[in-house]
Amino acid sequence: MENIKETIMEVIYSVLPITLVVTALQFTIIWLPMETFIQFLVGAVMVSIGLILFLLGVNVGLQPVGEMIGSALSKTRSLWLILFFAFVLGVVVTVAEPDVRVLATQIDQVSNGEIPQSILIMSVALGVGIFVALAMLRIIFSIKIVYLLTIGYGLVFLLAAFTPPIFVPISFDSGGVTTGPLTVPFILSLGLGVASVLRGKSASRDGFGLVGLASIGPILSVLILGVIYG
Amino acid sequence: MNIHIFHGFGDVLRDVTMALSPLLILFLFFHFFFLKLPLRRLIDIGVGFLLSYFGLAFFLQGVHIGFLPIGEIMGEKLGTFPHEWVLVIVGFILGFFAVYAEPAVAVLNRQVEKVSAGYIPQKLLLYTLSIGVGLAVALSMLRIIYGISLWYFILPGYIIALIMINYSSKAFTLIAFDSGGVATGPMTATFILAMFVGIASVTEGRDPLLDGFGMVALVALAPILSVLTLGILFGRKEKRQDGDLE
Repeated sequence: MENIKETIMEVIYSVLPITLVVTALQFTIIWLPMETFIQFLVGAVMVSIGLILFLLGVNVGLQPVGEMIGSALSKTRSLWLILFFAFVLGVVVTVAEPDVRVLATQIDQVSNGEIPQSILIMSVALGVGIFVALAMLRIIFSIKIVYLLTIGYGLVFLLAAFTPPIFVPISFDSGGVTTGPLTVPFILSLGLGVASVLRGKSASRDGFGLVGLASIGPILSVLILGVIYG
Repeated sequence: MNIHIFHGFGDVLRDVTMALSPLLILFLFFHFFFLKLPLRRLIDIGVGFLLSYFGLAFFLQGVHIGFLPIGEIMGEKLGTFPHEWVLVIVGFILGFFAVYAEPAVAVLNRQVEKVSAGYIPQKLLLYTLSIGVGLAVALSMLRIIYGISLWYFILPGYIIALIMINYSSKAFTLIAFDSGGVATGPMTATFILAMFVGIASVTEGRDPLLDGFGMVALVALAPILSVLTLGILFGRKEKRQDGDLE
């Protein structure tokens, strides 16, 4: 019960402030027809109910699944199995991430279907998958994260020179939305599981940095998508 | 009154089925080959999947009928507002409040306080972040008004971040790059982004695809720079203490 209350408050805290700002704007400078404004409020209520149910579901069902898969994987002690399933998990979780879907829908609409939702989601998911697998490699061989970040962002800026300009904002936005309510706990529990089994307890700090790496993946993959399109 | 609530819900349900089934299949695979969970656990997880299914469906439906269309209409209205500077202020306020109450920030706060052993108080981080994200959204408004390329913000931003790593303590560096996502909560990527697309679509000479997007990118950069700045402050203090000991 405590958990449910906490989740409800969490969602209200993240939806309410902006809703209030928008309400204030509506009655000072925007002045949309009442009907349209009510439609916005209906949307806000549905988004809140949806998020509450979703987060509860993530807590009860999805996150334990991530933890169990993480520890089952690490126990196999097989580098290839770990890397392969880290990749699969990264893909599968990103496909289900709410913010990624919404961004892809918006891009689909604004580009008049030129960049279809499904293709964008797939390339973002592949990007996250590959970088989650790389992040596991980092934990296993304790590679310095600064190197990976520098190389990662270096590649990003290099690729961006070859991609059509419209893909640049889209790719960075994709990197921003992947770190949502589903992906973060999943990746963290996977990383912590692998780190603790493979390298003993002291490695728990290795879990940090995973999310940062994972968000470079989609930037790169969407830029590559742009290079292919262009 | 003509209010849509379940318009197009069938499509949304199909979308959500596609979103969650890969995860379900992966879980079932692990269940049969590795985990072999007892029935009670399976039921718990099944309930979790069902909750997530309907949760995601309601969330997306709310976004489709409410946030995306109305966000765009509001943006179009704002974009034609005669005083452009008002937009920049509106941007700052939206960004500030998008983070100020964001639950993910609370988690980050606790991490930072723990790693810095209390030297960086939670309130300091909260205000640094809120102002940082407020500035990011305000800058995105300026981008649309003047048609500035995202490059001029992103390139220096990340170069500064990579340079700052050298002066920041290691724990802070990791936290900083992880925290990029804390500010891009459910309101930023849906409603505020739709508003930006709306503003870009009515501003003359702007392409909504090129100028409307990119806001999330700046919002994700703000926490990285904010946390690194605090990391440098903390690193200095750590060095000073080391010096004292010698």
